[in-house]
Amino acid sequence: MKYQSQAVAKPYFIAAIGLFVGQILFGLVLGLQYVMGDFLFPEIPFNVARMVHTNLLIVWLLFGFMGSAYYMVPEEAERDLENPKLAIIMFWVFLVAGALTILGYLLVPYSGLAQMTGNDMLPTMGREFLEQPTITKIGIVVVALAFLYNIGMTILKGRKTAVSLVLLLGLVGLAVMFLFSFYNPDNLVKDKFYWWWVVHLWVEGVWELILGAILAFVLIKTTGVDREVIEKWLYVIIAMTLITGIIGTGHHYYWIGTPRYWQWWGSIFSAMEPIPFFMMTVFAFNMVNRRRRNHPNKAAVLWALGTAVMAFLGSGVWGFLHTLSPVNFYTHGSQITAAHGHMAFYGAYVMIVLTMISYAMPMLRGRDAANSNRSQVLEMWSFWLMTVAIVFITLFLTAAGILQVYLQRYSDDPQPFMIVQEKISLFYWMREVAGVVFIVGLLVYISSFFIGNADPENQTEAA
Amino acid sequence: MADPVSTGVCDAMSENTPTISVKFASGIYVLLVSLTLVTWFVGRSSLQGLPLSMLVLVIALFKAQMVGDYFMQLKPLQGMWRWVVSLWLLIPGSLIAIAFYLS
Amino acid sequence: MFDPAAGQGQPGEGPLGAAGEWRNAALPETENRYPPGDLAIWVFILAELAVFGLFFASYAFTRMQHVALFNQYQLTLDRTSALINTVALLTSSYFVVRAVQAIKSNDTQLCQRWLWAAIAMAALFIAVKGHEFAHHFAAGINLSTNTFYMFYLSLTFFHFMHVVMGMVILTAIALKARKGGYSASEHTGVETGASYWHMVDMVWLILFPLVYVMR
Repeated sequence: MKYQSQAVAKPYFIAAIGLFVGQILFGLVLGLQYVMGDFLFPEIPFNVARMVHTNLLIVWLLFGFMGSAYYMVPEEAERDLENPKLAIIMFWVFLVAGALTILGYLLVPYSGLAQMTGNDMLPTMGREFLEQPTITKIGIVVVALAFLYNIGMTILKGRKTAVSLVLLLGLVGLAVMFLFSFYNPDNLVKDKFYWWWVVHLWVEGVWELILGAILAFVLIKTTGVDREVIEKWLYVIIAMTLITGIIGTGHHYYWIGTPRYWQWWGSIFSAMEPIPFFMMTVFAFNMVNRRRRNHPNKAAVLWALGTAVMAFLGSGVWGFLHTLSPVNFYTHGSQITAAHGHMAFYGAYVMIVLTMISYAMPMLRGRDAANSNRSQVLEMWSFWLMTVAIVFITLFLTAAGILQVYLQRYSDDPQPFMIVQEKISLFYWMREVAGVVFIVGLLVYISSFFIGNADPENQTEAA
Repeated sequence: MADPVSTGVCDAMSENTPTISVKFASGIYVLLVSLTLVTWFVGRSSLQGLPLSMLVLVIALFKAQMVGDYFMQLKPLQGMWRWVVSLWLLIPGSLIAIAFYLS
Repeated sequence: MFDPAAGQGQPGEGPLGAAGEWRNAALPETENRYPPGDLAIWVFILAELAVFGLFFASYAFTRMQHVALFNQYQLTLDRTSALINTVALLTSSYFVVRAVQAIKSNDTQLCQRWLWAAIAMAALFIAVKGHEFAHHFAAGINLSTNTFYMFYLSLTFFHFMHVVMGMVILTAIALKARKGGYSASEHTGVETGASYWHMVDMVWLILFPLVYVMR
């Protein structure tokens, strides 16, 4: 760890992992509720569990991105963070605000929460993923501004690299796009149109820039390949992301009441959204192949390569499967959507945060470069357990989705929703089993932080 | 001063790459404009039919190939990049031809 | 022009320049693997070509289901404007080729002048196409009018934006050339911008016959 202020990343990473566990616990609850509808009713109804599951995911990923930025930027800019104390204060603000919000979801009926938090003054509640009370959203903006100030000033006053500039661009974009969550038109078409400016332009836009920057950083550090080569790839990848993803937003505008040309624009541009992910995969493997050293942190390299592959499969391939409007006409809002959503989020964003934690945490905890062999082996086991589990979750949901779409929409004698849910419930059970394997993997992952700490560090071998 | 259009690494030694002669470039230019006039004339007369459309398409693909070979200087290259434009002309070109054939 | 001492590329001989059109043809194989300019722009060019190619193919296949409609509304397009535009782009591409040749001969001022001429031709395209758009919109035609117009307006507008971007790039290069930023030994930027510009021209060379003429 080259700069003392990089240490502020540690609490962010710890909080991220803690919230990750919470997210998965609620995921298991939801999975069970799919097949046992009364499970935990009325204490934790399905819609509440769902809000907790999705909101926790987004918040822990944000903690992960911020921690990653706090770790990466001093090293890239070659100077200490502008204001480490501010970073710690904001950490607590974000954590407490987040915790209170989740408690609000769980303990208070949603309409009561809206009343308590003065939603009627500036209504922003009630939309998927943006269920947070307005005051929480304002809190997020404050935290984001402080964060951008901190990171921005550090970069501006120091060495500017492609990695840090792309990261900054992604983070600024993240903050700007979040502002659209405050825009709540009465017209339902416009409501949905702009909602996607937060969601799509996040995960299929600026978040990909963050992903690219973190991946490039880890590859530079672990492979020793020339920075210039890696940074050039990064530019090309993010160019493709923006070219395909911005107008690609149109693939969410097929059926919400917008003009018909969106079916063309959305299909044509979003069909090409897998390209940057494909390039990321080629890029990652190419760089590792061309490496000039064998970095002792084998787990981090595994996570990096795994991220590229799973992001391509989950976001790229599974996304492509249902992106063309003639296909989407049938699959819209089905379990196909859930299949893509899980593998995409895990493959791209969960994995890139875990990659960064894998790379940085050993050094944040006092190691020179990597954990002991024992810790790494456990961590790599957790990689495989979680990744294989998510693949199976995705496959089962895909099967459920195909059956659902056929029975409910495509066949000559379409069946009602609940009848079809009954018929596909076997896949839901299988998904839940895969979910249990996932949380086992997560527990193994956490154990890797506690086991093998006394063992000596894994050493660099001659390349 | 940073070059606005270069990302820093020079992949081609541009000072030594083959360059088309002025006379030849001008010749290609005249050819391309002439072919454009042919296409325009067909368009102007609103003639239709598959054979004519195919001819117009082939002329278009040929013109684009000329731009690729001589203006973009792809012709003297060895290796994959020589064929990059040709491949692009082949794939959408064939698809367009097929679509018009089936219309 | 042609260097007899170069060995390969004699008139009537060798793979490079049967008609003596290539100078500096005698080079070791490895140095001729990459297209001119920064390789990153070529990746970008491929991406752009892919999008346009996909759009063209979509146009052609959609037309299959609406042949009469496409034939009918195609006749409402202004083919003369399209001719002017095609010649304008071809001319500007030719001027860019001349600009590259000029800088290879270390003539910065000449390079700059050819670039400005190319930009002027591009401006002509913008003016003519802009006029066409204005005419359509005044007649109440927009993306939702019918499928043909949806494609025609989308394709030409998308291309129009690329002409604008190309003009910005050429202007940047011309300005740098004016300040003496390029030389015979270092002019990657010029070739990079030139390559992009030729792509913009090439796309139009397909677009014009496809949308305005083929029926």
